[in-house]
Amino acid sequence: MSGIGMTLNIAATALLAQKYGMDVTAHNIANVNTPGYSRQSPVYSAKIPVLYGSLVIGRGVDTKEIIRSYDQFVENQLMQKRSGMVSSQELESYMKILEGLFNEDAETGVSSLLADFWNLWHDISNNPSGAPERIALLEHSDLLSRRLLDLDAELSSIQKDLTSSISAGVVRINEITSQIATLNGLAVEMSGSRSVNDIMDQRNTLVSELSGYLDIKTFEQENGSITIVSARGCILVQENSSYGLQMGGSNGDRVQWQGSNGATVDITNYISEGRLSGWLDMRDEILAKYMLDLDAMSKEFIWSVNFQHSQGVGLKLFQPGTTITGTYQTDDGKLDTLPFVDRIRLIEDGFKLWIEDRTDPDDPKINSISIDLSGLDISDSTLSDLADTINNQISASGLTGVVVDGSGAAIKFTALEGYAFGFSDDDSGILAALGVNTFFHGSGAGSIGVNSVLSDTDYIAASRIGAGGEYTKGDNTNSIALADLQYRLVEVSQWTCDRADGNKAGSVSTTIESYYHALVGSIGIASRAVSRGRAFYETMVHKLTEVRDSISAVSLDEEMANLIKFQHAYSAAAKLISVSDEMMDTLLNVK
Amino acid sequence: MRVATRTIYDMVKFNLARITEQLNRANRVATTGKRIATPSDDPTGLQQTLNIRSSVSNIGQIRRNINMGKAWLAASESALNNILDLISDTKALSVQMSTSTTNAEQRALAAKDVQNALKEIISLANTEIDGRYIFSGSKTDTTPFDQDGTYHGDGNGFKIKIGRDATVEVGSAGSDVFQPSGAGSNGDIFRTMNDLKNALEANNVPGIQQAIENLDDLFNHVSVKISDIGSKMKRMEVKENILQDLKIADTERLAGIEDADITEAITDLRAKELAYQAALASSAQVMKLSLVDYL
Repeated sequence: MSGIGMTLNIAATALLAQKYGMDVTAHNIANVNTPGYSRQSPVYSAKIPVLYGSLVIGRGVDTKEIIRSYDQFVENQLMQKRSGMVSSQELESYMKILEGLFNEDAETGVSSLLADFWNLWHDISNNPSGAPERIALLEHSDLLSRRLLDLDAELSSIQKDLTSSISAGVVRINEITSQIATLNGLAVEMSGSRSVNDIMDQRNTLVSELSGYLDIKTFEQENGSITIVSARGCILVQENSSYGLQMGGSNGDRVQWQGSNGATVDITNYISEGRLSGWLDMRDEILAKYMLDLDAMSKEFIWSVNFQHSQGVGLKLFQPGTTITGTYQTDDGKLDTLPFVDRIRLIEDGFKLWIEDRTDPDDPKINSISIDLSGLDISDSTLSDLADTINNQISASGLTGVVVDGSGAAIKFTALEGYAFGFSDDDSGILAALGVNTFFHGSGAGSIGVNSVLSDTDYIAASRIGAGGEYTKGDNTNSIALADLQYRLVEVSQWTCDRADGNKAGSVSTTIESYYHALVGSIGIASRAVSRGRAFYETMVHKLTEVRDSISAVSLDEEMANLIKFQHAYSAAAKLISVSDEMMDTLLNVK
Repeated sequence: MRVATRTIYDMVKFNLARITEQLNRANRVATTGKRIATPSDDPTGLQQTLNIRSSVSNIGQIRRNINMGKAWLAASESALNNILDLISDTKALSVQMSTSTTNAEQRALAAKDVQNALKEIISLANTEIDGRYIFSGSKTDTTPFDQDGTYHGDGNGFKIKIGRDATVEVGSAGSDVFQPSGAGSNGDIFRTMNDLKNALEANNVPGIQQAIENLDDLFNHVSVKISDIGSKMKRMEVKENILQDLKIADTERLAGIEDADITEAITDLRAKELAYQAALASSAQVMKLSLVDYL
């Protein structure tokens, strides 16, 4: 090849190359705001020169490739921190909801209701026979019970909401993984060509979105596809196949991975990043803990009030012809299925049953029987056994008037016509465990309520039956003892819930009010920690994004300068052509 | 470091968002005057607040108890003071009637005075407050004494709580006050008054003198009871003062934890506002610059 033709060729390669450069610049400018876009630059190299005689002559420029400015390490770091940030953001917004539930400013806060509950027992102590005080206590206790029930229900409902969110997240995850699988296929097909860069950017955006949902590790394969592995080593994407997640388990609340051979693996407790982790932490650790704690507190509260209340008597004995049914149900009558079975002591001096013989209304006679429970076995005996024991001891003492029925799921004490009965000195705890002569029914925050027997407020037990069978309208010994419970230290369980390690309970010795106050305080501390974590992650993500953008994002100023650069080079190359053309003309016009 | 175009806009968004959050919080504290709106604002502070509020509520209740107790004790004191007067008047009358200068007619007349005094004493012994008898022990719904001096109450006093482990008996057993050595004995005020009346009617001077001795003992006994009530009332007043001080201290502590220092809050708010304005101004400037405008 010689002379002018060669120059024209060189000019042609120059025009093409610079025009190509302008295309790439145009592409960058167009994508300045595209998230996840990495700027592209053309790489030029001089063509291999030819030997012409003893001279080496260059042949122009070649566009070797278009490179993406991209740093995989920074991208990975960013993805990981973003995953943590999203997780803590979700956690934070749910913590705010949780804090709102425990708003103790209003008068209907549990703290204020508890304080008033004890105050009302003082009021009853000041006027043991007064009806208004009893009615006030009844209504207030109802309010307190309802508040605890509501709290328990709301915590439970937030848990259900979280399960829905997780479910929706799983659906989106499956969509993303199948899209990535498709892109993998395309990337492998088109590897080496220019458009593979855009496919890789798209795939990156999807991977980034996926990492916002759960923890993933990506491995780039030589053929251009990426393999994505998640918690517990489950493969989500490999080549152009994706393996989905599903919701399963007995309550439909566990996250499971569907393996290729049909097996399902429960990965719920191993997800530690991303939104799913935030939701799972909230549901299975935080909400679970506070539900268990609230329940434990309510259980101790119910027991201590009931135990004391069952020692006493109201303004009247249980009337002739009435049947008192215990509030606690058993399975098949077995004693060890009662919720408070661990508090029962089957001792000789169990409790005193008082029977008043009113068959001669002008001359009522009251007698007591000390019921011996030592013949029963806590793990074997049933309500029928208990009923038989009591009935036998009644007739053995020569008395009559009360019949105990243990044939149903709950125990029944019936007063025959002309007889009334009452209780005292229950050291065994069996009355409180059966729900007889008790104040509350239920065994936790999800079931607490006021014993329906007390809708006749005369049965609120402010007094005690004395050693001679007497009980008076001005006796407030039981109500004073009940008011004293405010200061009594009880053992309440305190839970730690961890998704990986499971739920563990410790025990703390405290008053009911202190326990609740500490619970609210701990919610505050947890919420604060979450907010701090979120702020930390946000700053980290912000900084890393800056670094990533400094490598990969488009700077309009830069592209403008590049535009001018390529434009000038293009004009110069065009000038080359017109000069060659003139030279050709000159040559052709030689005479 | 190379700065991409989006970095500039991202920085603007990030910083403005952060400052707005701080501004919002400062504004909330300044307008509500409270430092603690949610548990996370000050968890330990909130826990203390709840404990203090519970304590304040308890104090309020105990004060109500004390007020009721004071009313009962005041009623007892008043009844017993009146009875003391009656006893001393009766004794003076008896002394006069036991001298040899009085005759049977005068004694018969005196008997009527004694009869009236006895009725008055029984009525005072049956004093009630809000429909409850204060000398009936714990049988507060039962009239303590019949017209013939038979006691129908019981032996347990009526107690109220004035503190965590403290109770005070504000209603007594009538048998203890008026029949200290047993019903029908010399220490039974009703029996004594009745015997005195009979002795006067029967012109029985030794009987009158015996009655004077009994009345002396009874006078001392009732005086002791009155001073006993006095010391109980004192005890309750002391308790009330302590509770008053405690309440004030608690309320102050509560304010210290809950309330925001207004000056501090406003200053903080101004500082955040200023920072926000500066950020807005600089962001607007920075966002305007671009090479595109110059080409």
